[in-house]
Amino acid sequence: MFRKTVLFALALTMLSGLASAMTLDEIVAKAVEARGGRDALLAVKTVKITGKVHMPNGMEAPLVWEWKRPNKLRSEVTIQGMKLVQAFDGTTAWMIMPFRGNTDPQEMPKEQAQRMEEQADFDGPFLDGATKGYKLELIGKVDEEGTEAYKIKVTNKFGDVTYYYLDTDYFLPFKEEGKRTIRGQEIEFESSIGDYKKVGGLLIPFSTESKAKGSQQGQSVTFDKVVLNVNLDDSLFAKPAPKPTPAPATAEGK
Amino acid sequence: MIGKRASGGLIVLAALSLTTPAASADSGVRITPNTFGAIRARAIGPAIMSGRVAAVAAVPGNQLTLWVGAASGGVWKSVNGGLTFKPVFDEHTQSIGALAIDPRNPKIVWVGTGESWVRNSVSVGDGVYRTNDGGETWEHVGLEDTEHIARIVASPVDSDTAWVCATGHLWNSNEQRGVFKTTDGGKTWKKVLYVDENTGCSDLAADPQEPGILYAGMWQFRRSPSFFTSGGPGSGLYRSTDGGETWKRLTDGLPKGELGRIAVAVAPSRPSTVYAVVESKDTALYRSDDLGERWEKRSTSAIVQDRPFYFAGLAVDPNDFNTVYKASWSLGVSEDGGRTFTGTGGSVHSDVHAIWIDPTDSHRIFIGTDGGAYLSTDRGNRWLHMRNLPISQPYHVSVDNAVPYRVYTGLQDNGSWMAPSRADGGIGPCDWKMVGFGDGFWAFADPSDGNVIYAEYQGGNILRVARDTGEAKEIKPYAREGETKLRFNWNTPVAFSPNHPGTLYIGAQYLFRSRDRGDSWERISPDLTTNDPARQRQEEAGGLTIDNSTAENNTTIFTISESPLDDQLIWAGTDDGNLQLTEDGGIHWRNVAPNVPGLDGRTWVSSVQASIHDRKTAYVSFDGHRHGDMAPHVYRTTDLGATWEPLAPNGLEGYVHVIKEDPKRSSLLFAGTEHGLYISLDGGAHWVRFKGNLPPVPVRDMTIQEREGDLVLATHGRGIYIIDDLTPIRALTPETIDSPVALLPARPAEMPIAGVSWPFTGDDEFVGDNPREEAVITYWLKRRHLFGDLKVEIYGQDGTLITTIPGSKRVGINRVAWSMRLPPPKVPPATSLVPAMRGPRILEGTYKVKLIKGKRNVEGTVKLVADPRSPHSAEDRAVQQKTALDLYHDLGRLTYLIDAISDARDQAAARSGTARPKRLRRRLNTARDHLENLRRELVATKKGAITGEEKLREKLGELYGAVNRYDGRPTKSQLQRKTILEGQLETAERRFETFAGGELSALSASLKKAGLEPITVLSQETWNKRQEARGGGGAEPLASPGALPLVVF
Repeated sequence: MFRKTVLFALALTMLSGLASAMTLDEIVAKAVEARGGRDALLAVKTVKITGKVHMPNGMEAPLVWEWKRPNKLRSEVTIQGMKLVQAFDGTTAWMIMPFRGNTDPQEMPKEQAQRMEEQADFDGPFLDGATKGYKLELIGKVDEEGTEAYKIKVTNKFGDVTYYYLDTDYFLPFKEEGKRTIRGQEIEFESSIGDYKKVGGLLIPFSTESKAKGSQQGQSVTFDKVVLNVNLDDSLFAKPAPKPTPAPATAEGK
Repeated sequence: MIGKRASGGLIVLAALSLTTPAASADSGVRITPNTFGAIRARAIGPAIMSGRVAAVAAVPGNQLTLWVGAASGGVWKSVNGGLTFKPVFDEHTQSIGALAIDPRNPKIVWVGTGESWVRNSVSVGDGVYRTNDGGETWEHVGLEDTEHIARIVASPVDSDTAWVCATGHLWNSNEQRGVFKTTDGGKTWKKVLYVDENTGCSDLAADPQEPGILYAGMWQFRRSPSFFTSGGPGSGLYRSTDGGETWKRLTDGLPKGELGRIAVAVAPSRPSTVYAVVESKDTALYRSDDLGERWEKRSTSAIVQDRPFYFAGLAVDPNDFNTVYKASWSLGVSEDGGRTFTGTGGSVHSDVHAIWIDPTDSHRIFIGTDGGAYLSTDRGNRWLHMRNLPISQPYHVSVDNAVPYRVYTGLQDNGSWMAPSRADGGIGPCDWKMVGFGDGFWAFADPSDGNVIYAEYQGGNILRVARDTGEAKEIKPYAREGETKLRFNWNTPVAFSPNHPGTLYIGAQYLFRSRDRGDSWERISPDLTTNDPARQRQEEAGGLTIDNSTAENNTTIFTISESPLDDQLIWAGTDDGNLQLTEDGGIHWRNVAPNVPGLDGRTWVSSVQASIHDRKTAYVSFDGHRHGDMAPHVYRTTDLGATWEPLAPNGLEGYVHVIKEDPKRSSLLFAGTEHGLYISLDGGAHWVRFKGNLPPVPVRDMTIQEREGDLVLATHGRGIYIIDDLTPIRALTPETIDSPVALLPARPAEMPIAGVSWPFTGDDEFVGDNPREEAVITYWLKRRHLFGDLKVEIYGQDGTLITTIPGSKRVGINRVAWSMRLPPPKVPPATSLVPAMRGPRILEGTYKVKLIKGKRNVEGTVKLVADPRSPHSAEDRAVQQKTALDLYHDLGRLTYLIDAISDARDQAAARSGTARPKRLRRRLNTARDHLENLRRELVATKKGAITGEEKLREKLGELYGAVNRYDGRPTKSQLQRKTILEGQLETAERRFETFAGGELSALSASLKKAGLEPITVLSQETWNKRQEARGGGGAEPLASPGALPLVVF
C-alpha cells in the first residue's frame, strides 16, 4: 500500500512537472487536437450557423453566420423582419443597416473592416497562426476565475491583443479578453466561451457571452445549428452592386 | 405558438421555495475567493465632491494624459484630458503617496504607495510599484515596509534609476525609511540617506539640469492615538551632488533648533534657485540662489505656515523662477520670489496637497485636494473639477426603509450626503444630496420621523436636519456646570436603538441617550474610558505647530450597540481599550476588556455589535494600528463578555474597522478591514476577501438593508458600494459547495417601474450602477462548465416554456438575468423600426426554473412581484397585460399576413417570366401588382429615415409601444384605437383571403393547365414552423458593426 501511494505521488509529481514545463507549441498543438485535429479542421471548407443573439432586457434576434475558407464571412441579424448584414469577402468589408429606410450596402470604415477581417479568419490563431501574421506568447499557467488555465497572448497582424485562457485539462478556450481601438478609443472586452459540442468531428462552442470588461451586462450568442461544408456561393460575401436608381416614369408610361 | 407561450406564462405556480440553511455554525464550509463567483458589488458614488487626492502627475505638453493618486482610492488615469478616468491599480494597495512618470518614456510610471499627508485617518501602503506599459500591468518592486512614500524622482537620463523619498511608519519606529535609490529598475534598492528609525523623508527634489544634484527634506514625526508630533532633532534639509550616494546637511541661513516637515522644490528655469518650506517654531519659506549652500528667509505668511504636516506641496513655475506655488488651505502663489503670497482664485475645495505645472505651458496647473483633482488653464484663476473620480472617503453608512431605500453617509472633509439606492438611468451626481457639513461621519434617517435626518460632524457635533427645508439644528450635549468640556472622538459614535425607534445615543466619555430627537440628553453612564490624563493632551498636539482639530481627542467612547434582543443591554467600546456593557439600561456598567485574550487592554475598540440572534453573543473588533500593530483582531463572546474567542486571522488581512453578523444566518460574518471586505461562512473560522468588482479598499463601516438583504459598504476611498441580495450567499452550505451544480434562492424579483430618463450630460460625470432590473437567477457550479448545454428555462405551471436564457459558466456563484417579459413580438419587415423591441410583461407570480447542465436538470422557482411603488391595481395591470398581449398577437398576425402576401407575390412574379400564353402572363403580373399594392397599404415602404409614413404596421407598433411602456390601465383612447386597428387588420386579412380563394386559386388552376407550378399560399402552420426555427422576433440594432466577437474556431 505504502509503495503504491509513493509511486502514485511520484507519478503525480512527474505529471505536474511535465504540465508546468509545457511549451507554447505543445499547448497550441494540444488546443488544435482538442478541437478535432488539424486534418479535420482543414477539411472544413464552409460553415453555416443559425442561432440567436440575446441582449439585456430580454431583447433577442435570430442570426445567421456563414464562413467560407479562407476568410469570407457573412453575418445576418434579423430585427423586426429587417436584416442587418455585415460581411467580408476577403478584401472588402461591408454592411447593410436597414433600420432607417436605407438598404444600400455600405463599405465599412477601416477599423471596423479590420475587426471583420479578424473574425473572418477561418481557423483562428492556433492553426498556422504565424503564417497569418499572429504572434503568440505564453503568459503562463494562471488561476482564472477559479479555473486553472494557460494564458496565451495573441497579437494579430493589426497589432490588436487578445488573451486566451485554455483550461489545462482539455486545452479548450473558455475565456478571451482584449482591447480594440476604434477611433482612438480603447474598448476592453471579455468573452466567456462554452457549451462545446461535437459537429462532424469538431468541437464547437455553442455559447459565447461578451461584454465590456467589468460591466454588469453583456450580450450572448447561442447557436442552434452548425452545418459544415454546406454550399455557400462567393456572391453571398461580395458587396452587392448598388441598386440602379429607377428611371423616372416617362410621359408615355407603359 | 405565441399564444401558447404567453398563456403558459400567466399561470402562477405554487411556491416551491428552496430551503434556507439553518443558522448553525457551518464548520467545514470551504470557501475561496472564487466561491462568490459572479456576485458583484456596485459602486454608487458619491463622486460629485470626489475625495482626497494625494498625488498628481502628467506628461509635459500632453494635454490628454493625466494621472491621479488617491489618498485611499487607488491610481486613476485619464487619456482624454480628465473627461473620464479609469482605475488602473485595483489589484493593489489603494493608498497612494507618490506618482512619477519616466521623463524619457511616459509608459513607465512609478507608484509609491502609502499617502504621506499623515492625518489621523491616513491609510498605509506596501512599497513601490512600476508599470512599463502605461498602467496595464504592475510589478511590485520592493520597499514593502515603508508604509508611507512622499515622492519618487525618476531619473531624466536612465529609466532604471529612481529615488524614493520614504516617509516611513507613522505610528511606530522602523528602519525602512529615508531616501532609497535603485539603478536596476527596482530590483534592488540602496538606502542612501537615513537619519534614524524615527525620521523619514518628507520631500525630494532633483536638479533638472544636473541629475546628480538632489535635495531631500528629512522629517522626524510620530502619531499616537492621542497625540501628534511634527519635529525633532532628526529633521533637516540635505543635498547630494553625486546622485544620492552621499549627502550634506544644509544649515546656512536655515533656522537653528528643532525642525519639522520640510518641502523643497528646484526652479526648473534656473536650477541654482531652490525653495524650501521649513517647519520650525517660526515656519517659513526659504530661498537659495546658489544650489542650496546659503538660504534666505522669504515669507512667514499664513499660506506658508499653515498645517505643515498636511500642506507641504511646493512647486516652482517651470518658466519663471520667481513664481512659486504653495499648497495650503487654498493654492497660494508668490510672484516675487517667495516674498509675498496670495491665494489663487476660483471654486476649489480646501486643503491642497499636490501640484503639477506643465513645463511647456505654465498656465496649465493640475492639483490634488481633499475634494478631488482640478485643472486650471489660466494659472489658477479658474478650475475644472474632475467629477468622474469616485474616490470619496465615507467613514460610516446607514440606510432607511424608503422604496427604493436611501443611503446616508459622512465623508472625510466633504460633509454628509444621501442618495437613493436606485435611480432612473443610474445614480448620478444630481441624485446625491448634501445633508450636513464639515468632516462627515454618521448620518441617519430617523426611523420614527420621515422628515428628520441626523448628520454628525467632527468632534461630537451633530445636526438634526429637516429633510423638506434643509434647516439644521445643532443638538450636541454639553458638559454640566463645573465640568471640563466633554471629550468627543474625532469620529464620535452615534447609534439608534433597534428596539425603540427614535431613541438616539451619542458617546463622549459618557454615554448619552435622547428620546426627543436630541432636544435633551440623558447621561446614562459614568466615564467609560480610562480617563488617563496622559492621553488628554490634544491641546498640545502637533509638535512644532499646534494642531488641535479634535483629531487627537482620546479617552472617548468610539462604538455603541444596543442589543436588538434586550433594550437594557448596551455595549460601548472606547478608543483607549475599554469594552463596557450594561444590562440595566445604564445603571451599572462593567468593563470586560481584561477578559479578551491576546491584547493588552489598551487597544482601540473599533466596533462592537450585539448579536441579532443571541442575547449573550457579541462581536468586537480591535484596531491596534495606531500603535503600529497592523494585525486583525476580531472576537466573539457568547457569555456577555466573560470569555472571548478570537476569530482571526485565517484569511483576514489588515486592521479591522468593523465586524457584522448577518441578520438571517448567524454563521455568516462580514469584516471590513483596511484592505477590503472579508466574508466568513463558518462563524469566523475562515475568511476570504470579497473580490467582485471591489478593490482592496479600506472598508470602514457597513450595514445590511434587511428588507432587500443588501450589504451596503462605506469604503474609505471609493465611496459607497452595494452587494445586492445576500440570499444566495446565505444559502451556501457545505452540501451546496460540494455539489457540482445547484440552484440558489434569490429574493423576489421586482418589476421596476421605468421612470422618464433621457440624459445627455456628456461623459464627465460618474453615474453609479443600479441593481439589476431583471429577475436574477442564481446557481452554483463547482467546476467551470465546458461541454454541452448550460441554460436556464423558465416555465409556466402547465409546463409551457416561456423563455430560454443562456447560462453563465464560471466556478462558484453564477447569475443570469431574465427580463420578466415575453420575447419581443414579430414585426413585419418595412423601412423603419417601431417601438416593439421588448415583449410584454409577465404577470406577477412564481415561475418554474429549470437549470440544464448537459444531462443534468435542477429545478427551482423564481418569484416575480410588482414594484412596491406601483399605484396600479391588479385589475388595471391585468387589463394592461391583456391589451399589450392582444397587440403583440396582432403584430404577429400582421407579420404572417405580410409574409404570406409577399410570398404569393414572389411566386406570381417568378411564374410570369415563363408563362404562356401572354394572357396568363398578364394575369400573373396583375396578381403580383395587386399583392404588392395590398402590402404597401399595410407597411411603410418609403425610403428614408423620417418619412412620417404610417401604415397599419406602424400604427400597431406605436400603440403596442405606448401600452407596453406603462404598467397600468391603458387610456380609453388607446383601447378604442386598438379596436379600430384590429378592425383594419381583419379587413386586410379578409381581403387577402378573398383574393387567395378567388383570383389566386383560379390563377393556380390556369397555371396547372399550362403545365406550370400553381401558387401555394403560405399557411399559418408552415409560417409558425419557420418562425420557431428562426427564434426571436426583434431587438435593437447592434450598436457597432463588428463589435460582436465571433467565437467559432
